[in-house]
Amino acid sequence: MEKLLVTAIQRFSTHDGPGVRTTVFLKGCPLNCFWCHNPETKDLKNEVLFTPADCIGCMACASVCPSGAHEFENETHILRRDLCMSCMSCVSVCPSSACEAAAAEMTVDEILREVIKDKVFFGDNGGITLSGGEPLIRKEAVELLKAAKDMGLNTTVETCGQVPREILIDALKYTDFFYWDIKDTDSARHKLNTGAGNEKIISNLILADSMGALTAVRCIMVKGVNTDDKNIRGIAKILSDLKNCKAVEFMPYHAFGGSKATLLGLEDNGDKSLIPSDEEMALVKARLAELLKLYGVSNISVL
Amino acid sequence: MIFGTASKNERPVRLSESTRQFAYESLHGKYGDEAVSHGAVTLDDVEDFDMLDDYGKYDIAVRRIAEQAPLRITESERVCGAATLGLAIRHVVPATRNGNAVYGSMSHLTCGFDRAVNEGIDEYEKRIDLRLSDTENLDQRQIRFLQSLRNTVASMRIWHKRYLDATKDSRPDLYENLKVVPFSKPRNFHQAVQSLWFCFAFTRLCGNWPGLGRIDEYLGEYLKRDLRDGKITTDEAREILASMFIKGCEWIESDTAPGSGDAQHYQNIVLGGLGPDGIDITNEVTYLVLDIVEELPIGDFPITVRLSKNSPEKLYRRVCEVQRHGGGVVAVYNEELILKAMTDAGYRYSEALRFANDGCWEVQVPGKTYFTYIPFDSLSILQRRVLKKDGKDIEYESFDSLYACFKDELGKTVFDLCSGVQNAWVKDGKWLPKFPMSVVALFEDGCIENARDYGEGGPVYNVVSPHIGGAPDVGNSLYVIDKLCFKEKRLTLKELYQALSDNWQGYEALRQYVTNKLTYYGNDCDESDSYTVRVIDDFAEITHSYHSDEINFVPGVSTFGRQIEWAPVREAVPFGFKKGDILSGNLSPTPGTDAAGATAIIKSYCKSNLVRQTTGAALDIKLFPSSVEGENGLEAMIALIKGFIALGGFFMQTDVVDAETLRAAQENPKEYKTLSVRVSGWNARFVTLNKEWQQMIIERTEQGI
Repeated sequence: MEKLLVTAIQRFSTHDGPGVRTTVFLKGCPLNCFWCHNPETKDLKNEVLFTPADCIGCMACASVCPSGAHEFENETHILRRDLCMSCMSCVSVCPSSACEAAAAEMTVDEILREVIKDKVFFGDNGGITLSGGEPLIRKEAVELLKAAKDMGLNTTVETCGQVPREILIDALKYTDFFYWDIKDTDSARHKLNTGAGNEKIISNLILADSMGALTAVRCIMVKGVNTDDKNIRGIAKILSDLKNCKAVEFMPYHAFGGSKATLLGLEDNGDKSLIPSDEEMALVKARLAELLKLYGVSNISVL
Repeated sequence: MIFGTASKNERPVRLSESTRQFAYESLHGKYGDEAVSHGAVTLDDVEDFDMLDDYGKYDIAVRRIAEQAPLRITESERVCGAATLGLAIRHVVPATRNGNAVYGSMSHLTCGFDRAVNEGIDEYEKRIDLRLSDTENLDQRQIRFLQSLRNTVASMRIWHKRYLDATKDSRPDLYENLKVVPFSKPRNFHQAVQSLWFCFAFTRLCGNWPGLGRIDEYLGEYLKRDLRDGKITTDEAREILASMFIKGCEWIESDTAPGSGDAQHYQNIVLGGLGPDGIDITNEVTYLVLDIVEELPIGDFPITVRLSKNSPEKLYRRVCEVQRHGGGVVAVYNEELILKAMTDAGYRYSEALRFANDGCWEVQVPGKTYFTYIPFDSLSILQRRVLKKDGKDIEYESFDSLYACFKDELGKTVFDLCSGVQNAWVKDGKWLPKFPMSVVALFEDGCIENARDYGEGGPVYNVVSPHIGGAPDVGNSLYVIDKLCFKEKRLTLKELYQALSDNWQGYEALRQYVTNKLTYYGNDCDESDSYTVRVIDDFAEITHSYHSDEINFVPGVSTFGRQIEWAPVREAVPFGFKKGDILSGNLSPTPGTDAAGATAIIKSYCKSNLVRQTTGAALDIKLFPSSVEGENGLEAMIALIKGFIALGGFFMQTDVVDAETLRAAQENPKEYKTLSVRVSGWNARFVTLNKEWQQMIIERTEQGI
């Protein structure tokens, strides 16, 4: 079994499902949303997170780098991303936190050993949440869910839905709850902003729902991008067809992803002008609630 | 009127507008300022004062205070009596001669106000007289002490009479209750609260800062009876109790000089837990107290709730709902572990069941215990007597030999501290005289029976607790030394010593390595935690092995704020901090070394055998509002406490605050006057802390984000 690339294991997570949870962030995502707030989880392969401000100028990295990607000029340390092969040699010798790996390679067992440390706090409801990136693009993630279930943990998955059907069907057996993103109901716009259309995401959601998967649908709201009434109507329409959806959560775009992007040598993608106001968020929620009422949907709470 | 909160939820409003107004004035310093404006009574005109013996001088001071302290009866108050002399806020008896206070006062005890309320002070007078009648078995000092107790009661009567006269025409509501209490038994809940407050206020008036103990345990029955008989409503009872809480803030000044913080007069309250029959006593008073501190940001009565796996679910919820507003006013005890810790240390189970604290968080049997603690810095033992001796670096062939030396020096330190106290207080099996403490001795079982003062062996239990500080810093230091110098042989001890004596100058790569690549105490890593655990556990066994017939020497873990005063005299440490950096507080991780969050900190802390730390070991957890909002956040807070209990924790204090709020308060202290922060057993308004303290609180790792 292949190892998983884990960007973080976050204990005492209280926003990713019921109770106290440990959230495991896996690297790699099939989508490429321009507003992504976890850019270090996008790429399928490991990467160097580079923080020049933390460099103490010891040049240990330059001495081990096989491709000459670490350049020091006039006491400035530059990481040439075009040369970097992500071999992580620099990470292993850097004494400070200037060169760090975006992810650690871990087996399912190693991950579980970390997760189980907080079992005493999980109680009846808490457990493990898989997030990312997109967890359900690797069959090992299903192994992880299965092993967690075997240990009596509640399992939750945060998915973008753009996942292979066979992995999804397998995962359904071991997953207690899904947070399912619907980023945009306009497929053309979805393709433009995330790199893929939304057809697979929506058909997967309907399939999972029909097989009894409990879900909360999450909709990111990016000001001027997908906050229009047509999208809200589209969301309402999809929700009205679901039997096992418990809630819909509207999440305002935030710009914090930009700080991480720069560590990857990417442009700061944070753009404060895209943050919807509290009033806009309230309007969107009210509109959806109104539409759900119109469709006779009463089992979905709007959060 | 809006009282600050760290939560997205507003503080609920249950109290009347006039009570809230009263709280607002009290919290903003109206009464503290009044007190400061008349600091003390004078003894300058007492003839032949210097000819009097200690008790003679003390009794005159107390009498003058009773006769002359300004009376204060506020319009909204429902209980009467006020500690109006400002010098009491400086922890002395507020009576001066030639401008100087004559006697110090006492704190770090919980007086037996339960007995005082239930019996009435008349009974105390009878007991004193009875004991005095047995003169053949009393020496001169014992007789003088008992006479002083008698005079204390007489002074209390003088003060009481003045309030009776002052309320007779203007405030019949207060007058009717004062006619009965505190000298006779209360006939209802209102009188019980008045009795408690009057006794407490009298001890405070005379400069003492006692805790109040388990007020729900001893007031609960009165309320239950009144509610059953339809004599009172829950809302009325809340107003009466709130009045006591608000009056307890009478020492907050509007413009406090920055220091280690005010609102810190050790007037702790303990709620919940098992009663004498082994049944949980949680009752209406428990919940009313939580209602009050949920509504009003009162930090002056730090509250600790005794919780176990059998505590009512509602109590867990209410505790967390209050904690969520921030201010850290409610902490928790792991009741089951503490009962075992106390019985292991020799207390009978029936006595252990009564446990409260000393007014801070060190557990004791209230109303019958003399208590003090002796803090010491274990890191300086490592630095000055193990790694160096007489200023010279010491080489070790193995980690075991280094640790053996540390344990030996730790043992010597603890034994020296204990025998220092023993020899200063007791000679040939007899207690040596201290200064008079009759006002608190009146409320301590054993003092009348033994005819000995509070500080001279009078109480049933006499407890002195060496408190180890800096243990996580020692543990982290030992971990680096063992790992790098002995196990991995990455560098020699000599090289490490050089880096430390150069305060890491010229060793930045190594410093970065130990800072970034190693995991320290507080991250639930068994390898590194084991060093701190070893230090803590060895310390406990050493302390338990010291024997005295007169004094119980039992261990505990704390620094309170001493990590700040220790910082400049400590050396650089092997885990990367430099000279002058502020290191670990209590048994919490060194600031900045804990990256794995609240659950990991709790797990690391619980790895020590805390049942051996008889007086306690404090853990401070700081959570930010975003991680505990909503129903799920509340459940998560409850889960933290339940995990802490299941893992064998002792005392945990959870504070909910965000760093932004704290920074804003730092910049605009005027706007955040009531923002209170609690660090282990004490509580302070954030704006009254000096910059270093504020910074330390801000820098505590922002768990949960």
